[in-house]
Amino acid sequence: MQYKTEKKAAPGRGEVEVLSATYEEGKPEGEDAGRWRQKLQSREDKLKYLQTAERYWYGKEWFGSEKRKTPA
Amino acid sequence: MAEVVKKSIDQATIEMIAKAKTDECNIVFDRAETTKACPIGAEGSCCSMCAMGPCRVPLPRGKEETPEDKKKRRGVCGATAETIAARNFVRKIAAGTAAHSDHGRRVVSAFLDLAKGKTPGYQIKDEQKLLQLALDMGIKIGDRSNEEIAIELGETLIREFGKQEGELAFLKRAPLKRQELWRKLGVAPRGIDREVVEAMHRTHMGVDQDYQSLLLQGSRTALADGWGGSMIATDLQDIMFGTPSPVASQINLGVLKEDEVNVIIHGHEPQLAEMLAVMSRDPEIVAYAKSKGAKGVNLAGMCCTANEVLMRHGIPIAGNFLQQELSIVTGALEAMVVDVQCIMQSLVSVAQCYHTKIITTDPRAKMEGAMHIEFDDHHAAEGAKAILRVAIDNFPNRKKNVYIPPQKTDLIAGFSHETINYLLGGLFRASYRPLNDNIINGRIRGVAGVVGCSNARVTHDEVQLTMVKELIKNDVLVLQTGCAAMASAKAGLMVPEAASQYAGEGLASVCEAVGIPPVLHMGACIDNSRILIAATAMVKDGGLGDDISDLPVAGAAPEWMSEKAIAIGQYFVASGVFTVFGVTWPTMGSKEVTNYMFKDFEKIYGGMWAFEPDPIKAAQLMIAHIDKKRKALGIDKSRERVLYDMTMRRQLEGA
Ligand code: SF4
Repeated sequence: MQYKTEKKAAPGRGEVEVLSATYEEGKPEGEDAGRWRQKLQSREDKLKYLQTAERYWYGKEWFGSEKRKTPA
Repeated sequence: MAEVVKKSIDQATIEMIAKAKTDECNIVFDRAETTKACPIGAEGSCCSMCAMGPCRVPLPRGKEETPEDKKKRRGVCGATAETIAARNFVRKIAAGTAAHSDHGRRVVSAFLDLAKGKTPGYQIKDEQKLLQLALDMGIKIGDRSNEEIAIELGETLIREFGKQEGELAFLKRAPLKRQELWRKLGVAPRGIDREVVEAMHRTHMGVDQDYQSLLLQGSRTALADGWGGSMIATDLQDIMFGTPSPVASQINLGVLKEDEVNVIIHGHEPQLAEMLAVMSRDPEIVAYAKSKGAKGVNLAGMCCTANEVLMRHGIPIAGNFLQQELSIVTGALEAMVVDVQCIMQSLVSVAQCYHTKIITTDPRAKMEGAMHIEFDDHHAAEGAKAILRVAIDNFPNRKKNVYIPPQKTDLIAGFSHETINYLLGGLFRASYRPLNDNIINGRIRGVAGVVGCSNARVTHDEVQLTMVKELIKNDVLVLQTGCAAMASAKAGLMVPEAASQYAGEGLASVCEAVGIPPVLHMGACIDNSRILIAATAMVKDGGLGDDISDLPVAGAAPEWMSEKAIAIGQYFVASGVFTVFGVTWPTMGSKEVTNYMFKDFEKIYGGMWAFEPDPIKAAQLMIAHIDKKRKALGIDKSRERVLYDMTMRRQLEGA
């Protein structure tokens, strides 16, 4: 994703460049409107997502409410 | 008219029932009046398992049964009313599990063909889900191609059906405590087919004659459906056709179009529907439709196939189970394409009143009087085009009696577990935490799954709609699948705006913040497996106990009719969920068996069955159960988070 910046006035420092809101332009339409999984492109990203988002099952460091390191 | 109004609360349905009458076309609503349900079969008191019977052992009517009466309530072989009721119930579970699981098996074989490059029309649409299943099944990922991984995955999953020992792989997804309980009770399924076969064996004349023992096998079989056949079908369909994401569409008979060739795809397995969705837009097909005087091809869904293509493509839904004949009654349907499950045999005779072609496509499900065009995944595009051409050729044959009711409602569908997780937390912090937090702070009281069919023995759509409205008004978030989901969608409950209109203040505030409807469409009936995963995610996220039976959740199928619904209900109960069914209850002929399932099951599984045909009372039972669980968790009083200032902090430290 391309990060965007914008110039803002900072007290005592004149104008500084700061990171601005970064989002995809436009509004998806039709069948693609709600599609979010396509945002993850590489296999590495997808595996990383599984370990964080689906950490309940695939995270190595996370045991949630079950608090058990050895499987039942 | 007043008599007709009682048959449904859906205006399009009411209008089409009246039209069928004018057109002198006999439909399900007429037959439900003329064919009364057998009261002995309805309570599970008829046994036809051998040729000394059928034996009928009903409860005495209008008086209490004496011990002497009870002794006499036996079949010729001596089988008690308890054994007979339990055997009948377990056979329903076996049939439901077989239906879902045979669907699952067909999906695995299509998946394997895809992976081996034998089905050029299909491709792997969701690599992430493929990787997820590879992790589940311990399949090496590395830099292997998706196809290599998919072949190993398909070959591993197909073995789940014929496995004889051990336990099903997906049981490991369940909360750890639940897995231990299943093992302790001896209900962890070994192989999907094995459990169905053993259920059929044990219910054969003269085998298992202890109702408690029979019902244990019922649980093991049902779990082989929910955590086996159904879950495999859902997950592989996600890999092949995409994991559902939010998608907008419309529902009800008004989605049919007067100036286009209308084709309805009806049934359960999505392979053909997926290809029809693509091919209905093919320029060659559109041009062919135009050559016959139509503007194009309008594809709509019916029953669970509808849910599959709605969730993934936004294809509109023409209606739920009881509307299948009515779509033909519009006089504007060129073809109804069917595969397996929930297809009424009367479609052929209804079609004879109009011009509709009924096209069967699956070698396992043929119908006398229908046209059969067998669908072969290996030549999917050609097969889909051949079917569409038959429909287009039929367009000029429309008769004069065309009337499409105007009703159609907007809806948002596509709430898979993955999407809910993403919507609640975002791409970088996807999580069920916001849901759990809002349950803990009391904005959301609990979660209910309202699923199942529609049934001509009750007012169509009214029972489920009344229940769902009662639940959301009481701040219970509702998850839906199947034909039940369609009832809510038709009534406008599946758009975000419904939150402020129908939901309680707490639930509405959460829905508005996240931007979701108060009633979430999670897919077809096999996708009830998604609800199991969502419930497990709630447990694993923490703060709501350590098993599904600790959660403030409940389930219901208020207008159920199919044996699959019984299998689904039993796997929810055996997974720890309190589950209420409406319409009728098939073990009423034995008080012992019924009490065992309604009361003692709670001590065994933490979840139990209930029967309540009144939707408000049923919703109140669910809410009472949710409140009981909230109390047990110590979250029965809603607590807003207190922000401590320095004075309060000092007081706390000094205490
Ligand atoms: S198995 Fe027993 S109860 Fe059933 S039909 Fe035969 S004799 Fe009757």
